[in-house]
Formats: sequence, C-alpha cells, structure tokens
Amino acid sequence: MSDLGVGLSTPSSAKKSANTPASDRKVEPPVAVEEPEPRSAAAAKPKVWVRVVALIAVLFTGWHVFASFLWIAPYSQNAREVVPGEMLTNYMIPLFGQSWSVFAPEPINGDYHFNVRATLDDGSETGWVSATDVELSMIQYNLTPPRAGIQSSEVASSYKGAFDSMEEVDRSVISGDFAVENWEVGLRAALENQKSESGSSAETREANIDELMREEHRSTAYATQVAKAIWGESVQKVQYRVSRQNIIPFAQRHNPNAQRPEPMTVLSGWRGLVVEEGQNEGNFGDVFRGQFERITK
Amino acid sequence: MSEQTQTPVARFGAFIGSLISATWMAAMNGVGNAIAWFEGWLFSSKKALYGLAVTRIIFGLTAIGLLLSNFSTRLYTFGSGSAWNGELAEPLSDFPKIWIFSAFHAVAANDVAFTALYIVLILLAALFTLGWRFRIVHPLFFVMWVSFIEMNDMVGDQGDNMFRIALIIMFFADPAARWSLDARPRAKREWFDEGSSPRHIGTVLHNLALIALTAQVAFVYGSGGLYKAQGNPWAHGYAVYDPLQTTRFGTWPVLSDLITAWGPMVAIGTWGSILLQGAFLLALLSRPTRLLALFGILGFHMMIGVLMGLPWFSLTLIAIDSIFIRDRSWKRLTEGIGKRWRDAMDRGREEPKPLGVAKAV
Repeated sequence: MSDLGVGLSTPSSAKKSANTPASDRKVEPPVAVEEPEPRSAAAAKPKVWVRVVALIAVLFTGWHVFASFLWIAPYSQNAREVVPGEMLTNYMIPLFGQSWSVFAPEPINGDYHFNVRATLDDGSETGWVSATDVELSMIQYNLTPPRAGIQSSEVASSYKGAFDSMEEVDRSVISGDFAVENWEVGLRAALENQKSESGSSAETREANIDELMREEHRSTAYATQVAKAIWGESVQKVQYRVSRQNIIPFAQRHNPNAQRPEPMTVLSGWRGLVVEEGQNEGNFGDVFRGQFERITK
Repeated sequence: MSEQTQTPVARFGAFIGSLISATWMAAMNGVGNAIAWFEGWLFSSKKALYGLAVTRIIFGLTAIGLLLSNFSTRLYTFGSGSAWNGELAEPLSDFPKIWIFSAFHAVAANDVAFTALYIVLILLAALFTLGWRFRIVHPLFFVMWVSFIEMNDMVGDQGDNMFRIALIIMFFADPAARWSLDARPRAKREWFDEGSSPRHIGTVLHNLALIALTAQVAFVYGSGGLYKAQGNPWAHGYAVYDPLQTTRFGTWPVLSDLITAWGPMVAIGTWGSILLQGAFLLALLSRPTRLLALFGILGFHMMIGVLMGLPWFSLTLIAIDSIFIRDRSWKRLTEGIGKRWRDAMDRGREEPKPLGVAKAV
C-alpha cells in the first residue's frame, strides 16, 4: 500500500521536472520525494498485526466503558443482568471501586458530636469534652484542611447508625455500665440475652449486635485516647455521648428566633478502657491536646 | 418477463425494493465511513496532549497539597497514633491486603519508617508533576499513593477513587508528552520513529485511554445528577443550603451564610448542579455548550473545594476536566500569556513611553 501511495505521486513530479532542462539538478526530485513524505495517510498505514492489536484494545475499552457505566449508574439489577455472574464486581473491585451518591438523594443536614468524659483514679468524674469540636476546628476556615479533622464525626456517625438499628429493649443494656476487664464479652452476652420484640430474624439480630460491638470497641478506643490526651494516665473509665443535631431548616434561615432542633442523643454507660495494640498515645495526645488547648484558650 | 407486461403493483414493488436497497446501502456506507473515520482518528495522532499534561500537573500538585496539609497530623491520622481505629490490626480497605499496595500499612507502627515513606511519596509526587522519567515515576507514584491513601478508610472520599482510577487509565496514555521534563529530550529523539508499529500502538492506546477517561467522568457526573434528582431538597431547589450549614461541610460559616442568604441564588446553585451534571456528556459535543459546561463545572468544583472543605476532591475533578479543552486552545492560551508576559517585561526594562502608547492606541 505504501509503495502505491508514493508511486502515484511520482509521475506528477516527473512531469514537472520534464519541463526543465535535462541538465538541471531538478531532475532529482522524484527520488527525493520518496524519503520525507511518510506522513501521507497511505504511507503511515499500520501493519495488519498492529490493526489486530488495535481492534483488541478497542474491544477491551468498550468492555471497560460498559462495565463502568453499569457500575457507576444508580444500581439497577435488571440492567446488570446483561453481565453474567459476578463478572462485573470481579472486574470493578477493587481497582475501579467507587460510589457517586455523594450529597444525594438528600444531602446531610445535621452535625454529629462525640463527647467524652472520664473517671479518674481518685474516683472523681471529669466534665464533658467535645472531641468533635476539637477536631473540626482543624478544618474550619482552612483552605488546606487535614483529614485529622473529620475522624470524630465519622466515629459518631457510625456509632449512632449501629445504635439506631438496635431494638428498644437493647438500649437500656447499652446505657448500662460495663467497666470491668473484658467488658465487651459481658455486653455482648447481655445483648444476646435480650428477647427480640421486633420479630427480626436471628441472623439480622446477630449482625446488628456484631455491628454494635464493633462500634462500641472503636468508640471506646477513641474515647480512651481522647480522655488520656486531656486527663493523662489517671483515667480509669470513660463514657461517651453521641448526638446528631439538625440544622435550622432552609425556610427559617432568616428567622432570628429560629433554633436548631433538639439533638438526638445516645448516652453510653461507663466503659473500661480499650487500647489497641501498637497504639502510640503520645502521637495521638500531642495533636489532640495541642488543638484542644488552642480552642479553649 | 418483459418490462411492458409489469403491472403497477409490480412497479410499485420495484420502487419500494429500490428504496430499501438504497437505504441499506446508505446505512452500510454510513457505518463504513464511521469506522473509517474512527480508525483515522485513532491512528492519526495523539489527542489532547496538552490537556492531559495539565491533568498530570494538577494531579501532582493535588497529591503534594494533600500530603503537606496532612504532614503535621500524619501520625495522628495515619500512623501509630491512629491504631485505635483498628486498621493497624485489620485494614478496612482491600488495598493494604494486596502486597504491592501494602508498604504504608506495613510500616504504620514505625514512626521513622512511615515518615521516610511519606517524604518519598512527596518527592514522587513532585517528579510526577514535573514529568521526569514519567514511565518509571508514574507506576511508583501510583503504587505508593494508593498504599498511603487507603491507610485510613473512614477519612477517605470519592476523590481518592477518582484519583486512583484516572491514574490507572493514564498508564495507557502519554501525559508527559508536553510541558514536562521528558518533553525536551523526546523532542530531539522520540522513543519510536514516526510511522513505526510501536508508535502506532502507543497512539491508539493513548486515544482509547482518553475515551475511557471521558466516559469515567461523564458517567460520574450523569450518575451524580440522577442520584440528586431523586431527592426532595434537590428538586425543591435548596439542597446546597443543608450541608453548608453543618459544621463539617460548611467550613467557612460566614461565607455559607452569605451565599445562602438570597433564595434564588440557592436555587441556581442547586438546580444548576443537577443540570450541569446531567447534561455534561452531551454538552461536550459542541463548542458553545462545551464552554458552558466546563466553566459551569469549574465553578461548581471551586465552590465544593473552598466552601465545603474538599479542595483535593475538587482539584482531582478539575484536573480531569482539562482534557476537554483542545490542544489548540491550550496553545493559544499559553501563547497569549507568554506574549503579555514578554510585553510587560520589555516595557519594564526600557524607559516606558506611556503617552506615546496611549496615543497609538
């Protein structure tokens, strides 16, 4: 093909040079033309194997784009039936994992709070400290906010979510004190002894208890770090209060008497300290205490 | 049978037959032309080289910005101060469990090693921005970045996913061909000769990567629009007010109050977000609508980045959107800026003749 393309252009050049005297050096061009013109479409025509590779790449891109479409679009079981079995999930996860229901369908309209207090080794109880206020102050009026600022909001929101899926009968258990060693075993046993009143399946109940126990563990580990950061090594027990408070509704934003609705609050009982293996309390405490002192000054 | 004996019905049948065959031929020609056009587009040259270079540069700066703004709290959020979240014992994300992405998780408990790796990652991000030895730096940066950003699952956002996915797609493209340290030596001596088979394959993969990246962002916007359209606060034109009034997503309370004070403004922001996101892909198809979509979405991301305290998320999406600005426009833009710069510098150097200039104008 490439020879043909150049070959076609040769006669016209030859014709041109035919008009000039034979002795002129312009007789040369027909030869020279062949070299610097590989740009013409015909000359640059890719080889067959290259086109086969390109076709495979096109087909793969087509699959990737289609799989991404099915994955990114709002979940549709009937649409996803077009891909057999677990193929779609296996292709997308973990490399292309993503979820785009951000601030939708209903954007967040409230604040979570995580408050901590402690019992010290002299038996005295401390006042409450809002870990959320301390952390969120790191990102307020800050063009380059650190991710440190949102941890307590996340802990609070996950804990509240797990608590809310528990039943009414469980709530008094959770608000009870579990401050002895291995208290998590006791709390779990107490929850499992409750008689379910909602008629939910044993599996659902078990899953809800598992989830709550995970959140209890993490929240207590966090509260332990917060308490030690502020009150030091004399901390014996911790208690946390997790709340969510909605904002002033849009329609009332110009009403000077408008108040934010009452927060929905969960008060845990006292808990024994939880310290994860490998926890460096200094690295937590230095940052948290520094910020705490900055905002309470 | 001779022509004279044909009945009107048969002649009408012949007419319909010829219509069908003509339509068929036209459709087949159309398909053939489309395939030929697509093949030409795919093979002829690498598209959006400047736009993708801008994506690379903004990505690198985003990574540097994120790493620097978390530097003083790195041990608190990601390192040994954060063991309370349980990730040191058992990571929540899939990535730290895959060995090539496990480096940061492996050193999380060791402050010195973690900090050293953190600094290496900053340096890699800088080299990525500059486009130095890009074919080597890019995979190293990708592996280290994913390893780092997946250390603490609860503080992550969708910007992390977008960043990772775009970095993967960019493996198949040529983001360091322009405005990079690699560009100079490559201008003198390209890796492969023009018209050679490897060069052809490189061009095809680059252009296909652009298609994949375009699809990725367009689907994300389209899907975002659909999710929002399901919600009452979005339909009723006040949704942007809600998060801006929370402490977490209204990180500039004074500005939040200011821009949500006037109702119609809130409606423009709310409905505008849905319309821009939903219409994004189709708006890209023609120049005037493309300008509208790109400037609109740029404004949308600047609002999210500043007012909602999500600068790195926003910059990631802004970076990808720069592929939709054509090479021609980038060149004109830089030439214009360069000319103004030289004019301004020359004016400063020589004794200015402001009156003469004013008269001439």
